[in-house]
Amino acid sequence: MKWATGLAVAVLLALPAVLSGYAVTIFVLIFFYAFLAQAWNIVGGYAGQLSAGHAAFVGIGGYTAALLFERGVTPWIGMFVGGALAAVLGAIVGYLGFRFGLRGFYFVLLTVAFAEICRILATNIDAVGGAVGLYITFTGNPRQFQFQDQRAYYYIALVLMLLATGVAALIERRRFGIYLTAIREDETACEALGVDVLRYKLLAMIVSSFLAGLGGTFYAFQNFSLQPGAVFGIPLSVEIVIRPIIGGAGTLLGPILGSFILTPLGELSRSYFGQSGLHGAHLIVYGVLLVTVVLFMPQGAYPFLKQLFKRA
Amino acid sequence: MAVGLTLIFGVMRVVNFAHGDMMVWGMYLAFVFATRLGVDPYLSFPVCAAALFLLGVVVQRGLVDPIIAAPHEMQILLMLGVALVLENTALLVFGPEPARVRSPLARLTWDVGPLYVDVARLVTFAVAVVLTLALSLFLFRTDLGRLIRASADNHYGALVIGADVRRIYATAFGIGAACVGAAGALVSPILPFQPPTGLSLSVTSFNIVIIGGMGSLVGAFIGGLLVSVAESLGAVFLRPSLKELFSFSLLIIILLFRPAGLFGKRQS
Amino acid sequence: MTTRLTRRTFLTTTVAGAAVVGFPLTPRAQAKTFKIGAVHPVTGPLAEPGQACRLGAQMAVEAVNAAGGIKSKGGMKLELIVGDTQTKPENGRVEAERVVTQGAQMLLGSFDSGSTAAMVSVAQQRRVPFLVDIAAADPITANVAKSVKEGQQKVQYVYRNFPTGSSFGRKAVQYFTEIFAEAKVTPKRVVLMYCNDLFGQNQSRGFLAAYKAAKPAWTLLEEDVIAWPEPPSDLSTEVSKAKSLKPDVIAPITRPASAQLLLPEIRKQRLDILGIVGPGSPGFYEAGQIAILKEDVEYAMVSNPWANFKNPKTNQVAEEYKKRSNGKTFDTNSGYSYDAILVAADVLERAASLDDPDGIVEALRKTSFGGGLMQYAGPVVFNELGDNPNAVTTMTQILGQKAVAVWPKEAALQKFVFPRPKA
Repeated sequence: MKWATGLAVAVLLALPAVLSGYAVTIFVLIFFYAFLAQAWNIVGGYAGQLSAGHAAFVGIGGYTAALLFERGVTPWIGMFVGGALAAVLGAIVGYLGFRFGLRGFYFVLLTVAFAEICRILATNIDAVGGAVGLYITFTGNPRQFQFQDQRAYYYIALVLMLLATGVAALIERRRFGIYLTAIREDETACEALGVDVLRYKLLAMIVSSFLAGLGGTFYAFQNFSLQPGAVFGIPLSVEIVIRPIIGGAGTLLGPILGSFILTPLGELSRSYFGQSGLHGAHLIVYGVLLVTVVLFMPQGAYPFLKQLFKRA
Repeated sequence: MAVGLTLIFGVMRVVNFAHGDMMVWGMYLAFVFATRLGVDPYLSFPVCAAALFLLGVVVQRGLVDPIIAAPHEMQILLMLGVALVLENTALLVFGPEPARVRSPLARLTWDVGPLYVDVARLVTFAVAVVLTLALSLFLFRTDLGRLIRASADNHYGALVIGADVRRIYATAFGIGAACVGAAGALVSPILPFQPPTGLSLSVTSFNIVIIGGMGSLVGAFIGGLLVSVAESLGAVFLRPSLKELFSFSLLIIILLFRPAGLFGKRQS
Repeated sequence: MTTRLTRRTFLTTTVAGAAVVGFPLTPRAQAKTFKIGAVHPVTGPLAEPGQACRLGAQMAVEAVNAAGGIKSKGGMKLELIVGDTQTKPENGRVEAERVVTQGAQMLLGSFDSGSTAAMVSVAQQRRVPFLVDIAAADPITANVAKSVKEGQQKVQYVYRNFPTGSSFGRKAVQYFTEIFAEAKVTPKRVVLMYCNDLFGQNQSRGFLAAYKAAKPAWTLLEEDVIAWPEPPSDLSTEVSKAKSLKPDVIAPITRPASAQLLLPEIRKQRLDILGIVGPGSPGFYEAGQIAILKEDVEYAMVSNPWANFKNPKTNQVAEEYKKRSNGKTFDTNSGYSYDAILVAADVLERAASLDDPDGIVEALRKTSFGGGLMQYAGPVVFNELGDNPNAVTTMTQILGQKAVAVWPKEAALQKFVFPRPKA
């Protein structure tokens, strides 16, 4: 199993040499969203605490780095500050939610409410750009987390994805992960057994939001603009949540597989349908696919495939 | 609007993320009636309700039923997929421009002393009250209504007494959708709508239902009033652009301190 | 064993997927054409203006090709590769990459400033000249100019043929002042109301800044500016707040959805005002909007980039556009995208070689093009920031349920009506 992983990584490392610019961009998107998905997976998949507001962490990370950049701080440092701030918000949301015993759907709503509040605040506070958002000057200077060559982003995104997966793998193997799974399966039993449920859930939330915050910086310096609606909005949270769910929440490869399925699908259907003037048709395909997967592969694609190959 | 959602959740524990988009279809239907057939939305809303009832039943039977026992995330995703399909089919069919239905009623205002009363909104409010009352009568006085409430309270119990749970669920979903269809038609002269409007309507519906209490009709109604008042107050005292902040903050407070909402029952 | 198999399958799928994506669909055209990538939001919340832009660009390409293509390069035809940002900023970058990979040598787009900013990085990274047809945020070009000045980038590839946010504001204040002077009225309580999204905030900031700088005779209530979240479901509170300020003029910045709520509300609450004069926004002049708003929008004025209807060519194109778009007006969006193609064609005529992006940029910088269909204050030129200082706005008014240019005098087709007649 180790060498299969190594082979996969080696192939991915070598790909940029043969791919077109557009393909490289697609891969960057796949890796980046897989990274965010994996970050979510830690608290949403393993710990079973669904958060539909993860965009808030991405947004905070990105905005922090962008604002610091305007004041001359390099994004390489700003990235970690952003991640830290995101983690603080994660801790707050987590603490409030878990301390007050919010489960399932109610926790989802709490996260959505926080994300929306962030969005509304960002839209209305002029100091952070308001609805106009922040624009980052393109300099192409690596010291400022910008690159003249798209391939650099590819490698960074790949590293991020591997990093998040590594963290998830680490958690999965250690006691922390086992506790999380137990909490996910039956929280009340855990409490009865004396497990400090609050602490573990909170920890998962902090790790998850920190990673998402890192992602925010990447987003900001790849797109050179930050708009509150785009980085704090529900659509981004949906993109983050969809991938692990389709791919298999609570599994290591689930978010990655989900990203590999959904991102190219979205791109292909958009470029195919977008050309012929059938506006919106590609989103219908997206929706139909969602429905199909949910109906026929409710555990996610990865466990489904695993079952398939077990029989093969 | 919120009443419909609370019904769907209360009975089946299904979170209908496509709620807002169904409402937008209600609006578009009213629009079609108004422009093609010249029927005023205040008259056509029962038809819109009926059409959406059918849509609700179809969606429930075809899509929701098979996964009724699946984990919540799956249901959420399913309805999200439905929402996407609904929104973009509307885009394909009706185009992206905002539309609004013209109704002679919508242009009137009454002078009541120093206040102006917007007739259209008054009528909508009145109809909403009537419909809610009618719905509660249905749920509490008729056999089918009682069955629906019974299935909501105790799924297995209902099965035990031989109730056709699937049919009940389909009906409940259908009624929920019908509510939203009526709401859409009634609101169509007041609110300009485009296909993306569905998302914000869904969010508002959820806001209201949580604050009022999942599964409680009264709660949904009062919740709706509360949220609108909160937003208007917010608009007056703070900057109007922050008014949504009010309702979200209210949501968080309710979630933390009284998750069952103001009128909801404690979840078992 | 099963895990290994899954990984291997996963791998093969990846490589297969990469192969498919790495070799995108090739365009059908056989002869060599000059490809321009036009990226606009044709789906999503900004779908309406986005679709208008795309149609405008398409029509212009057809017109240029029908007239003989790029004559100095042997009649080479233009070809449009279209992209859709879905109104999401990050898709700006993705679509730009895609069209460039498919052979686009020039970029056009992309209406909303967020995705336009994302496209800027592609233009600079891949050295593709990028003509922004619409998108008012000043930083889009200013940031690139700054980079070049500071030596971080060698060449500026991003240019814009559209009024910037700051020029919108300046022109609006100027027109307000001139029109009020001409009507011999000096409003003392102008209330600014705007939609609190990217566009609205940008516009209102520009307007307020220009007002402060100009210090005109009329008075804007600077402390009492009213904003609402866009799209709104209800504006009654906002309008009653405005009413309590006893305004004599309402200056709204809207989107189509909020305009549909605002104007009837102003009538319903019986605001006694001299008129509605907007510093610049959509929502008033579109044929569909007028059909919905009817009397509520009559006499409303708004300062927008506008087509020059005194030019017979413009009227011809507007007619054709109406037919092809099912009755829509040839306006800011379709018009500026159309003109962008005309400007591009002119640039390509003058460029030394079509294969050298720096050469195209050189020709671009030297542009002085008078054949545009929009209202300009002079020929299309590009200043040191990359913007066209001659791209201006025109004050239009809805008269007789049609939008007509009323100011400045050289653009006016009719005389303006202000104050508006009492109801």
